[in-house]
Order: sequence, then structure tokens, then C-alpha cells
Amino acid sequence: MRLLLLLPLLLTVSCTSGQPEDRRIVVTFSGSALGAEGELLTRHIARFEQANPGIHVRIQRTPDDATQRHQLYVQWLNARAGEPDILQLDVVWTSEFAAAGWLLPLDRWKPDAGAFFPSTIAANTWANSLFAIPWYMDVGMLYWRTDLLPHAPASMEELAADAHSARSRGVPYGIVWQGARYEGLVTSFVEFLGAFGGRILADDGRVVVDSPEAIRALTFMRDLLTSGAAPTDILTWHEEESRFAFQNGAAAMMRNWPYALTLLKSPTDSRVARKFAVAPMPGAPGGAPTATLGGGALAINAFTEHPDAAWKVVEFLTAPEQILDRSKLSGYPPRRALYDDPRLGEILPIPVPLARSIVEHAVARPATPIYSQLSELLQIDLHRALSGQLPPDRALHDAARDMNALVERTHVRELVAGSAR
Amino acid sequence: MTPIQPAPSRAPRPESEARTGWLLTAPALLAILVIALFPLAWTVWESLHEHDLRMPWLGRPFVGLGNYLTILHDARFWQALGHTALFAIISVTVELVLGLALALAMNRGFRGRGVVRAAVLVPWAIPTVVAALLWRFIFDSQAGIANVVLTNVGILHHPLVWFVHAATAWVPVILADVWKTTPFVALLLLAGLQSIDKELYEAASTDGASAWWQLTRITIPLLKPAILVALIFRTLDAFRVFDLIYVMTGGGPGTSTEPVALYTFNALLQNLEFGYGAALSVIIFLVTFALAMLYMRGLGLDLGGPRRR
Repeated sequence: MRLLLLLPLLLTVSCTSGQPEDRRIVVTFSGSALGAEGELLTRHIARFEQANPGIHVRIQRTPDDATQRHQLYVQWLNARAGEPDILQLDVVWTSEFAAAGWLLPLDRWKPDAGAFFPSTIAANTWANSLFAIPWYMDVGMLYWRTDLLPHAPASMEELAADAHSARSRGVPYGIVWQGARYEGLVTSFVEFLGAFGGRILADDGRVVVDSPEAIRALTFMRDLLTSGAAPTDILTWHEEESRFAFQNGAAAMMRNWPYALTLLKSPTDSRVARKFAVAPMPGAPGGAPTATLGGGALAINAFTEHPDAAWKVVEFLTAPEQILDRSKLSGYPPRRALYDDPRLGEILPIPVPLARSIVEHAVARPATPIYSQLSELLQIDLHRALSGQLPPDRALHDAARDMNALVERTHVRELVAGSAR
Repeated sequence: MTPIQPAPSRAPRPESEARTGWLLTAPALLAILVIALFPLAWTVWESLHEHDLRMPWLGRPFVGLGNYLTILHDARFWQALGHTALFAIISVTVELVLGLALALAMNRGFRGRGVVRAAVLVPWAIPTVVAALLWRFIFDSQAGIANVVLTNVGILHHPLVWFVHAATAWVPVILADVWKTTPFVALLLLAGLQSIDKELYEAASTDGASAWWQLTRITIPLLKPAILVALIFRTLDAFRVFDLIYVMTGGGPGTSTEPVALYTFNALLQNLEFGYGAALSVIIFLVTFALAMLYMRGLGLDLGGPRRR
């Protein structure tokens, strides 16, 4: 099995060993580098190499699909490959990789964590060390139709009422979100959960997703479905299906990521180009408005041969100038000071104060090394509840039971305490 | 394997012949060893460990039959096994009945028979993933083709969101499988039909036997070997169903259409739980193996044995 895992590694290594005359240190950057993203990255790397003539950065494209990239990374790092030196991580992977001992703690270079939003730092911290520097932020937002609703809903109660009133005026769907059984369901759920004041993990690492607040949140979501405010179709929908529905004018409100914004504004493809706005997802009594944090961060492979050179690249790519430039793509800058920079207003498709208000509500999903497995268990029971197979309290009770069993079996709580490392 | 040389000769000859025989079969045996037996043995060995690629801090401790014991108490596994059995029984039964009907029809002489025989194979020639996407599209939305047709005909009063309910999610899945593999069954049975002696029917007709009598007393008994082959192929295939369901429902809603292969894939390749996933794979292997043996015994036939007339 080990041999098999090594295979892709050997291939990549054999591809890299060219240019014998070049005396520069070569570090490899891996991440999504397609289209506009790739162009921007190439530009930044060129700028970096100009400023650091001793370092050559090779870009290694990885699959754009997060799950595939994750699998690839896990295989490489299991085989203790020293390349790629720099890894682009999804926010929910950092603790997993850090706990596995695959990432270098960045503390020795004294990164300025205070310059970033606390949620992005929390997501990339494990056992009190910072393991990845936030690169860009994705946050869940509420898209709403300005021609159908007088203003964005200020509470969950209002959201439900708005959905019904839009339906009574002939709009097919009141509100849509990502409801298929995949990570997107959890990202949607986290926003309702936060609105009602619940959380997935307690500070001590126990799963508390069966709390009364969480049950209220899931019951609210299920009621949106059973009352017709949200179509049951969304239980098979991902980001794109939701966007199509909203873009075709079939939905009054939608929960989605910032990427949809540019597409929805296109007058040729979108029927709602001038008829929508965005707002933070609303709160409810007992909780606060919540935006699920997504996005990317840059980390350094623990097996790298060039830690200092790799750090220079990470530092450069996450410097204010480059992060500002990167906001042209989609997502928002994780650096707080940039929201006072007048140039940001020209780059972002929405007013800076609105962006700031959404970003400040960002909540990271649990920073635990077993996040993906916990999420999978949660997805199943959320989907059971929303498709009517189980009542919300039973579903969350089952989920918490299974998730806590996994927490116990894998000893992650001891890991947090630092005893296992 | 035994030499068929009748040549009577000196004593050492058979020994050297045996050696040559081994030498000649060695590459093939080696290939089997490397590509079939070694991975199988490795999987069994792996299944005796707790090995989670994403949790290196747990190490790779030997746990004996621990993984298998966990599987015994794993409700999701048993449900998945139930789903697989349900899927296999329903789809294979429908495919056999339809396949037999198709084969009987194609066995008759009519104009354009060659074209029909070729055309029937089209669904089977379509890659499963493409077929699955096609059927998913037909059933997907409330405005999908299936919903529009069924409401227009009056079978449905409201459009149904097929993939959201546990019971209805099976309908498109089984339909897609039946659509795709009935031609394969039909072709296998057709080959069987063509090897039945026509004189038997002529004799039966002369004696005044009805068509039904001919079907149940001549056709089906003589078709038994072909039916057996079709059954084995289809049951084992159905038991390992993966791509169709992966694409169409992803195992949902909840886990209510999740077959064992998908659950194993999830453990092995999504969660990278190599130990537990290996144990699940071993169980799938054992179950399919047992099924194959059961068919061979139960139907009292050995494949490739001489045809009795």
C-alpha cells in the first residue's frame, strides 16, 4: 500500500528535477491555479522572484475540487514527501494536517496574527500554534430580491415570513440553500445554528450539536421545508443548483458564497442582474447573525527542505498588497486593515461596510483534526431530519452520539491537551 | 495440466515434462499471484489493523478481528447490506423476466431482426456514469421529464421530488439499472435459446402442446444454464453496485440508498480508514464468493458441463 501511495509522488519528483545549472533554491507551491486564479498567482510569483533572486517558485497545479486535492495531499504527506513545500489548505483542513504532524508551526517566524480576523486565525490554529496564514475568506451570505422584498430580513422569523409572502405572490421558491448531503449542508446549517445560539463542539472538544438551541435551529430549517417556504428540491442541491434557481428568478432569497455575486450581476446570463442585493444571514433570539467561514490558507509542509524560503513565499503571498489584489477574484481579504484602504472599494462588488459587517460575523467550523469525519456523520443526520426520516431532536441526538463516539475513539481531546504529541 | 502425450518412453521423461509444464505456466501463475492473490492477502492483513491515514497519531496497531467486530455492531453497514440485497433482488428479477421476454421476441423470425438485436444493445453500451446522469436528469427536478409525463398522464397529482424520499429514490435507481442491463441478460438468454433443438418444439406442436406448456416444459428447463450464467453475472454485479448510486443519489436521502460498495468506498477513499475499509472489502468479497457458490450448488449445474438432451 505504501508503494502505491508513493507512485504519484515519484511522478512529481521525477518531473521536478530539471535545470541542473540553476543555483536558486526551488520551492514548490501547490494549489488551484486555473484560469484567472492561475494568472494572478503567476503574476504574484514573478513579483516575488524579482524581489528574491535566490528563490525559484514552481507552481504545481492540484485539482480544483477540494475533496480531490485533500486526498492528494493526504497521500503525499503520509509518504513524508518534502514537496510540495507550500500547501494551499481549505480552512477546515488545517487542524487535521497539523495534528498529523504534517505542517510546520509558523510561530518561529512570528507572524502578525492580530492583523487578521480572529475567526480566520482560530480556524488555522491547532494546539495554540498557528499553522497556516489566511489567504482569502469566503463567507456565507444572504442574497435577496430587491423587487420582491422591501428590505433584507432582520431576523430568522422575518426571513420565514418574507419567504411565504414571496411565495404567495407567485415566486416558486421562498428561500434556497445548499441541502444535498455534503459539506455544503453543514455550512448552511452552521449559519442557522449560530443564529439560534448553538454550536457543534464545546470548548472542551465534546460534541454539543444536540443542545436545545441546535434543535431549535434544525426544527426551524425543517419547518421552512415542510411549510413550503423552501422547496424540498434543495435536498439534492449544491451551490450551483441554488444559484441557477436564484439567477432564473425562481427564488426570493438564497444562501450562498460570494462567488455567485459576479455571476448574478451578469446582465446576459442573469434574469435578476439589477434586482438583488446581499446581506448577512439574520439572527434569531438567543443567537447572533452568523456567516460560515470558508476560504483558503497557506501552510508549509513539515518535511520541506527549505522552510525559510517557503515562509518567504507564504509571507509574500499573504502580504497586504497581494491579498488586496487577490480580492479581485472572489472572496474577501482576511486582513482587517484592508477594509480601511480606499482601494478595496474599487475592487469589491459590494460596499466595503457591508462586506465588513458580513465578514465580522464569520464563524469557523470546528477546528479539530477529525472535522471531516464529524461533518460526514452530521450531514447524514441533518439530511435525515430535513427529508423527514427523523424528527430534528432524534436526528441531532443520534448525530451527537455517533460524533462523540468518534471523538472518544480517536482520542482527539487528549490531542488538544497536547499529551499525545 | 496433465500431459496428453501418449508416447511411451523412459522413466525420467514425465519428470522433465512436469518441470517444463511448471516452467511454462510459471509466468501465468506469477501474474495471478501478483495481481490477484497478493493484493487479496494484503487486504486481509490490512483489515486486522487499525489504520487511519488521517490520524497518524493512532499509529497502525494490530487489532485482530477488532474491525470485524465493529462491523457486526455497525448499523450503517447492516442497512447498507440490506439496501444492496433489496437492490439486487428487485433489479435482477425484473431484468430476468424482461430479458427473457425480449430474448423470446428476438428469437422469432421477423424483418429487421438483425437491426433490432443490435439496437437493443445500445443502453448496455452506454457507460454507467453517463446512463446514471441521464436518468438523474430525467427524474431530478419537479419540472423534470418524469414528473411532467407522469402528471400529464394522471399517475401523479403533484410533481414528486424523487430523490428526497427514501422509497421513491429507489425507483429511478432500479429503473436505470433495468434499462441498462436488461439487454445484456436478453442477449445471454438469446444465445441459450438458439442452442435449443427446434425439433423439440415441432414434436411438441404435433402432440398438441400449448405455447405455455412448451415455454415451461421445454424452453425454460433447457435454458437453465444460460439463466444461471445471467443470474450469476447480474447478481454479483448488482451486489457490487456503486457508480450508478454514487452518481444518482450519493446514497441519500440520509443513507437510505447506500449500498455496501459505496459505504466501503466512503470508508476507504473518502475517510482513508484503510483498516476498517479493508475489513469491509473482505466482507464484500466473502459475500459475493458465497453467493456464487450458492448458485452453482443450488441450481445443480456446473458451468461448462455437458448439455443433457
